[in-house]
Amino acid sequence: MGANAPPGNVFRQAITVYSNSAGIESAYGFFAPNVPNGFKLVFELHYPDGHVTYELPGVGDAATGLRLNNLFECIATTPFDPVRELLFKMLSYSVWREHPKARVIRAVFGSVVSPSLAEFEAGKRESYEVLYAYDFSFPPAPGTTKSD
Amino acid sequence: MRKFLFPQEPDYWLTSLRVGLSLVVLLYAISSRHDWMALYSIGRRSIVGRDLAEAVLAADSPLIPQLGWLVHAGGLTGMNESTVLACAWVALLCAALFLLFGLFCRSAAITTWFLHLCAVKSGIFFSYGVDNFISIGLFYLMIGPLPDRFSLDCWIFLPPGKDPRLHGFFQRVLQLHLCLIYFFGGLTKCIGWGWWNGASLWRALTRPPFDAVPPEMLLAGRHLLPLLGVSVCVIEVTYPIFIYWRKTRLVWVLLVCAMHVMIGLTMRLHLFALIMIVLNLAAFASVWFSRIFSRRSWENHPSAPAEGGDATVESG
Repeated sequence: MGANAPPGNVFRQAITVYSNSAGIESAYGFFAPNVPNGFKLVFELHYPDGHVTYELPGVGDAATGLRLNNLFECIATTPFDPVRELLFKMLSYSVWREHPKARVIRAVFGSVVSPSLAEFEAGKRESYEVLYAYDFSFPPAPGTTKSD
Repeated sequence: MRKFLFPQEPDYWLTSLRVGLSLVVLLYAISSRHDWMALYSIGRRSIVGRDLAEAVLAADSPLIPQLGWLVHAGGLTGMNESTVLACAWVALLCAALFLLFGLFCRSAAITTWFLHLCAVKSGIFFSYGVDNFISIGLFYLMIGPLPDRFSLDCWIFLPPGKDPRLHGFFQRVLQLHLCLIYFFGGLTKCIGWGWWNGASLWRALTRPPFDAVPPEMLLAGRHLLPLLGVSVCVIEVTYPIFIYWRKTRLVWVLLVCAMHVMIGLTMRLHLFALIMIVLNLAAFASVWFSRIFSRRSWENHPSAPAEGGDATVESG
C-alpha cells in the first residue's frame, strides 16, 4: 500500500512506519511455495608467506548462526551489486580483524545444493555451487600480536 | 457484526500474551548476549556495521525506530556506542522482566516493543520471521487493554477493570491476524508441488542451518514425509475454519502447537516455535484458561459485568 507513491509522500511514510512498527512489513512464506537453497560463505585467507587458510563466519551463539542465514539470503537476493560487495567487504574485514596477518581475503559465497531424497539414497551428498567470489586486500597491521 | 467484533472476553488471553511474550523476549535477549555488539555496533567488533542497515532503513523512512537514535542520544550525554548498546540490552532485559511480573505493564510493554524493534531494524540483515512475530505480539500487547488481573499492577494499584468487550475486540483482531497468516502461508504451500510429495519437507529438514535431524533418520521415515507435508498444508489452509468452529478448536490448537513444537525441535527454530505457540494460545486458548482458573476470580474481577449481565465466555 502506497508503494508506488514517491518516497517522500506522507501517506507512504506513514504506512511504512506503521507496518514496520507492527511487524507486518513483509509477507510470511513459511517455506512456501518451495524451500529455497541454503547458502554458505567461506573465507580464503592468503598470507604473505604464501600459505592459505580457510575460515567460516564466526558467531558466538547458535541463535546468531540462524540469523546469519538471513544475511546470506540478503546477499544472494539483493539486486544491487554494490550492496553485495559492501556486505562481503564488511564480513571480510570482520575476519581480518581476527587474522590481521592475512594480506588478501577471498570471500567465496555459494549455494548449498541439497540432494533430493532419491538422490540421497543413491549416495549423492550436498554440493556447493559458487555464486560470487570477491578478493579484498588488507594492509599489514603494525603491532599485531595475534598469530595465525 | 458487533457481536463478532466485540465478544465479551475475560482477560486471560492478555495474561498469556504478556507472560508468553516476556519469556520470548527474555530468551531472545539472553540468546543474543554473546553477539549483541557484533550484530549492532558499527565499530571494530561488528560483523556487518549497523550503519549499513540503518542507511537501508532510512531509504524506506527515517522515522522507523533504530538503535542509532539511542546511540546518538547517548553521544549527547558523553556515552560511547558500546555503553549505549550495553545499556539497551540491559534495558530490554529489565523491561521484559517487568512485563513478566506485570509491573508498570504499559510502560514495560512500550519499552520492550521499542527496544526490540530498534534492535531488529538496526540488524535488518540478521532478522528473520521470529522477529516479525515478536513485533506483532508486542504491538498488540502495547496497545491492548493492560493491565490484566494477574499482573502486579492490578494487585498493587487496583486499576479499574477494562470492559470485557474491549478484551474481546483486541483478541478478535489477533485471531483474524493469525487466520490470515496461516491461510495464506498454507495456500502458497499448496501451490508448491513439493509440499504434496514430501520433497519440500525433506528439503526444509536437510537444508543448512536447519538440518538438526540426520538425513539417515529422515530416510527411515520417508513414507511419512508426503503425509506430513500434506498435513502441514491442510492444517494451515483450513486454520481459519477449524479454529473458529468450537468443536474443532481444541484439536486445531493442539495440532498447530504440535506442528510448531516439531518445527522447533527438528529445525532448531526454538524461538520461532515458542512465539507461534504463545500467539496461538493467547488468541484461541483463553476459553480453556478461564475454565482452569476459578470462575470465582472472574466474578470478583472489577471487569466482570453485573449479575444478570451477559458474561458468557464467547470467542467464536
